[in-house]
Amino acid sequence: MQHDLSIVKKMENKKYIKKRVWDLPTRFFHWALAGTVFTGWYLGEYRDFSTIYLHFYFGYAAGLLIVLRVFCWVFAPANSGREELLPGFRKTIAYAKTIFNREPSGVVGHNPLGALSVLAMLLVILAQVITGLFSEDDTMFSRGPFSSWVDSTSVVTMTAFHYWISRILITVIGLHVLAVLFYRFWKHEDLIKPMITGVKFVKNQKH
Amino acid sequence: MKMFKILVISLALCSMQNVAHADAINDAIKARISFYQVAKHYFVPLAAMAKGDIEYNAEQAKLNAKIIETLSQMNTDSMWPEKSSKTDRPGQTRALAKIWSEYDAALVKLKNWKDTSTVLAKTAGNGLDELRKGLSAVNKACTACHDTYRAEKF
Repeated sequence: MQHDLSIVKKMENKKYIKKRVWDLPTRFFHWALAGTVFTGWYLGEYRDFSTIYLHFYFGYAAGLLIVLRVFCWVFAPANSGREELLPGFRKTIAYAKTIFNREPSGVVGHNPLGALSVLAMLLVILAQVITGLFSEDDTMFSRGPFSSWVDSTSVVTMTAFHYWISRILITVIGLHVLAVLFYRFWKHEDLIKPMITGVKFVKNQKH
Repeated sequence: MKMFKILVISLALCSMQNVAHADAINDAIKARISFYQVAKHYFVPLAAMAKGDIEYNAEQAKLNAKIIETLSQMNTDSMWPEKSSKTDRPGQTRALAKIWSEYDAALVKLKNWKDTSTVLAKTAGNGLDELRKGLSAVNKACTACHDTYRAEKF
């Protein structure tokens, strides 16, 4: 509660103002991907004959979501924040220096480090989808739709990568969640609610 | 000259023995991979039925489950000689050296396959639900062993 009070106080000082930072497609993409990846992971980790086909479908869905997201990013209009996702070295270092400050960053949209973590997660998820297409599970007797295109050694390699990447995926998503908690409790900045409502406290430029 | 011939021949024999010895392990590795390949051959139709890819056929389910049970009961000790792990034979096998350092624990996992296969052989012909249940149990036994004792890559 103390955190909320401090946010309110800052509001009164007008150092931070409410602003709409996430549009509906972005929010939809975020939660749809989170749901798809979690369900897909669960169905793969605890796979069973009766549900394994769903693991495939959730994999396709995750791949489709990422393709759509990249499409939206490439064809986004100027000034819509598309530069945010490739922040550049200098901006990233400058932001990283302020990361432990015990005050909200008040950034509109993706902060430079957040942008890098988004890119990392999207790349890892995409790699997971692609290796899955070529994988085979020899206890489930299921194989990815493209696994018959390559020789059996490559299938074993792809399956191995599909497993290793799943461990990397758990790590990067774990870091993402930890970072959100770090912002909430160290920096007193709520990032979860803005991803639901779209509205976030951001730095008041006139202050 | 005679001594030289004897020397050459005995050296050749020694090296042949080495080759023969190496081949024995190689053969054992090939045998066990083939063995599980055969098991897989009989598993595939059962899995396809369980997943609904092909129609359930009680006769075929029963037959395949029976063969799998027979396979699982086979004594395969000689397929797992010492020095036949991935550490000893990289590129040939995915069997981790752990199998031999904790052989008894590995045998328990193998026994799970035998036990679940026996149940499957009894129930596979009693309808799709029974097949699914039995196959799931066998599958868990397979996965448990693979997760512990099999490397992701050759």
